[in-house]
Amino acid sequence: MSSVGASRSLGRLIDWRIWLFVLLAGFVLVTVIYPIFQVAIRSFLVDGRFDLANYERVLLQPRNYVAVWNSLWVSVIATVLATVIGVVSAFLVQRTDLPAKNLFRLLLILPFAIPPLFAAMGWVQLAGPVGLLSQAWKAAFGTVTVPWNIYSPGGIIFVLAVTNYPLVFITVSGALQRMDPSLEEAARISGVGAGRIMRDITLPLVRPAILGGALLAFVSSIDNFGIPAVLGLRANFYVLTTRIYEALVVPNMPLATAMSMLLVLVAVIAMFGFRAVEGQREQYAVIAGKSVMPNVVRLNRARPWLVAGLALAVIVIVVLPLLALIIASLLRYWGADLTLANTTLAHYTAVLNAPAAQRGIVNSLALATGAATILVVVTALISYLNIKERMRGAGLLDVVGLIPFALPGSVIGVGMILAWSNPPVGPTLYGTIWVLLLAYIMRYMAFGLQATRTTLQQIHGSLEEAALTCGASRLRTIKDVTFPLLRPGMVAGWVLIFISAFNELTVSVLIWTSGSETIGVWIFLMQDSGFTGRASALAVLTLPVILIMFLMAQALARLEERRAQAAGTKS
Amino acid sequence: MPPAVAVTGLGKRFGSVRAADDVTFTIARQEFFSLLGPSGCGKTTTLRCVAGLESADEGAIRIGEHVVFDAACRIDVPPNRRGIGMVFQSYAVWPHMSVADNIAYPLKVQGVARSVIRERVTEVLAILGMTGLGERRPSQLSGGQQQRVALGRALALNPTVLLLDEPLSNLDAKLREQMRAELKQIQRQAGLPILYVTHDQSEALAMSDRMAVMNEGRIHQLAPPEEVYRRPATRFVLDFIGTVNYLPCRIVGTDGTRVCLDLDGAAVLTIPRPPYIPEGDRALLAVRPEDLVLGRAGGPVEAEVALAATVTLRSFLGASFEFRLAWNGTEVRVVADKGSGIADGDTVALGVREGLLLEPDALSRPDARAS
Ligand SMILES: Nc1ncnc2c1ncn2[C@@H]1O[C@H](COP(=O)(O)OP(=O)(O)OP(=O)(O)O)[C@@H](O)[C@H]1O
Ligand SMILES: [Mg+2]
Repeated sequence: MSSVGASRSLGRLIDWRIWLFVLLAGFVLVTVIYPIFQVAIRSFLVDGRFDLANYERVLLQPRNYVAVWNSLWVSVIATVLATVIGVVSAFLVQRTDLPAKNLFRLLLILPFAIPPLFAAMGWVQLAGPVGLLSQAWKAAFGTVTVPWNIYSPGGIIFVLAVTNYPLVFITVSGALQRMDPSLEEAARISGVGAGRIMRDITLPLVRPAILGGALLAFVSSIDNFGIPAVLGLRANFYVLTTRIYEALVVPNMPLATAMSMLLVLVAVIAMFGFRAVEGQREQYAVIAGKSVMPNVVRLNRARPWLVAGLALAVIVIVVLPLLALIIASLLRYWGADLTLANTTLAHYTAVLNAPAAQRGIVNSLALATGAATILVVVTALISYLNIKERMRGAGLLDVVGLIPFALPGSVIGVGMILAWSNPPVGPTLYGTIWVLLLAYIMRYMAFGLQATRTTLQQIHGSLEEAALTCGASRLRTIKDVTFPLLRPGMVAGWVLIFISAFNELTVSVLIWTSGSETIGVWIFLMQDSGFTGRASALAVLTLPVILIMFLMAQALARLEERRAQAAGTKS
Repeated sequence: MPPAVAVTGLGKRFGSVRAADDVTFTIARQEFFSLLGPSGCGKTTTLRCVAGLESADEGAIRIGEHVVFDAACRIDVPPNRRGIGMVFQSYAVWPHMSVADNIAYPLKVQGVARSVIRERVTEVLAILGMTGLGERRPSQLSGGQQQRVALGRALALNPTVLLLDEPLSNLDAKLREQMRAELKQIQRQAGLPILYVTHDQSEALAMSDRMAVMNEGRIHQLAPPEEVYRRPATRFVLDFIGTVNYLPCRIVGTDGTRVCLDLDGAAVLTIPRPPYIPEGDRALLAVRPEDLVLGRAGGPVEAEVALAATVTLRSFLGASFEFRLAWNGTEVRVVADKGSGIADGDTVALGVREGLLLEPDALSRPDARAS
């Protein structure tokens, strides 16, 4: 069936849709294609001519090799750990008679909304040389050292894992929730025990979701800057993102560019690797669209133990780092004894009086709001032309807009510098806050496209055609039917983009300049130069914003689920 | 007075598929007109062309006095200015609006005064038998109720014609029957012309004043239901409406009222002269199950000549019986009111009350003449 206004053979060929498309194409060209083109081209140019010298230089320096290798093995191990945590917790929450499931689910997803930089800082304050846990250990065992070192590859891997497991948890939970229960019931009827069903039926069926979540966790690990920066720089342990950061501090643009291309290569190879593993088995179409009562494993005697274990894990992974952050923000100096005499609000006063911190707060709020709003509007229009008007060109814009999602943040940062330092036309935006806005727009365009596209796909064409036959014009139909039905998707996309942009560090730290600090950048710089208290104070101040957005996103997801359930009972 | 809808020479292609091919029909004022045909024959396409949701490649469409589409003159009035009401197969009731808001929407778009809207909505709800449900959300309604809301929305503005695309296909048998009667009732009350699309022949036969039977984009027959059933124009129509037995035969002789047939040497029988008699002496006799009569072997049978056949399967249908018989190597299906005394394996006498004659190769040609 053709949808509303599928190309009419008669009538005006040049109408508002063409103009809208031209505008949107221009937007995507400037915000996505042009920066990508810059990175891809510039790395092959030396003094304006094609040359592989940049790559030669990168590849001849063992330091850089090492960074590539470090990025790889650290991310792989962190991904394996994150996957184990994510899968186990998803099964416990979705498929057992665990009490307080909703609370567990909420807490388990929470680290998704906390910036990785905060997690790294929290863990330094917990397990660092004078951290709370370290001090407790020393007191308990009467030693002067602890058997761990947070400033190490091991520390990076651990913090990456406990930051990224929610990606696995969310995808696997979703798949478990949507799985057709009759598949498991069929096994149960043939007399198979619940545990065996898990192993033989459920686990293989959610395998694609596990792999998908693992891929997200891997990309997120390899893309991360905050954690290896806080935990690795001090140990002289470099990964690709921190090497690129260093190269830009110098600044050595060709080196940064070539390194970025290596990072792209690693990410692309990883994705194909996952695809290959996933492709070995055919995909089963077993995930139905509606929520249903799943097969629940009774934990029986193991129940109290598992509950205690999971609660402990949640406390250690989710609650303690945040608590440590709060304590650090209140302590007179880092490592001071935990006494009332040692607490102070001085760090908060310092933060609130620091012009750069003030700018950071304003900038972060404005940038996140701006990027989310612009993206939701632009991507809704692209998706409308793509899905409802069936415009081929809009479909192409959709594909192009998804590319940056696969690009590591450092690449986007380098692309922004190359694109906007000395553009062929237009103003030099590098050095202003606008380049950050453009970077966020590029980086999170995929979120907006995804949210608006899937929502529009769910709006059956006849709903709009019904409005036309009721006498409404096309624009009126969009206003009265399409837009109200699309709005929940737009709001969900907005919240997701806001959270992500508000927490962004990998790109920001490469392209910020004095005057365009963000909260993340300022906190990182403070932490990096030893002002742990101030860094923690600002982090704590931003937590309410993050938590409110997080709870809003959760509420929206609930609402969406209920709407889908209601819709599932009809046609 | 011009007809409510006049469609002439409508043609629509999708790639190489001819979804509508020279479709021509008119709908009179207050007429219930159906498009009937198998899945994919182009019913929806034709309906959507009338609605303006699809632009035809050729032909013209008039609604009332207005030409709303003319391929030659490049006229294509958009759907919102055709003054139609339409009910979609999927209902398309808006989930974000209450029942009352759904029904009020066409009036609101026209800028009708609020008080008038409220009155009209109450009136429509009463017609639909849904008084008091105006504030409900569509998700709180049953399938049948949603369907009524869709109907109410299409009726609200007193459209010049009501277009319905298989509106009853999502309902269970009982509800479907009930809605059929209600739909007919509402149509009479409102005095509306209706263009009704369905693939369910009993629905079309029961409800239509006239109907068009379509296949592969073309109309095979356009007539009142009884005529379509009694005098199908083509082999396709004959086949599509009800069940048919085909018996090869030779035409032995005809006169003004009867025709004498030789059933491949097995028997010679005389039946009332059908409307069409193929040239040449070979032909195909088509008989509906209820036009065959059964009797005990050797006993008297209503029809003139009795053939001897064996019962292979007897099924009880409730009000009647259906028999599958083996006769001369062919399977023959018979429907009879009585049949308690007959069991599988019995030999029975089979008489032909009436039938139609087709060209001998008609089985391979859907458009072969049948009447
Ligand atoms: N938008 C389209 N693009 C391509 N082909 C189409 C399109 N719409 C319809 N067709 C084709 O045109 C033919 C007629 O389709 P149509 O929907 O009119 O059938 P129908 O009679 O309504 O069938 P059904 O009873 O299954 O609804 C079919 O072969 C169909 O595949
Ligand atoms: Mg149809």
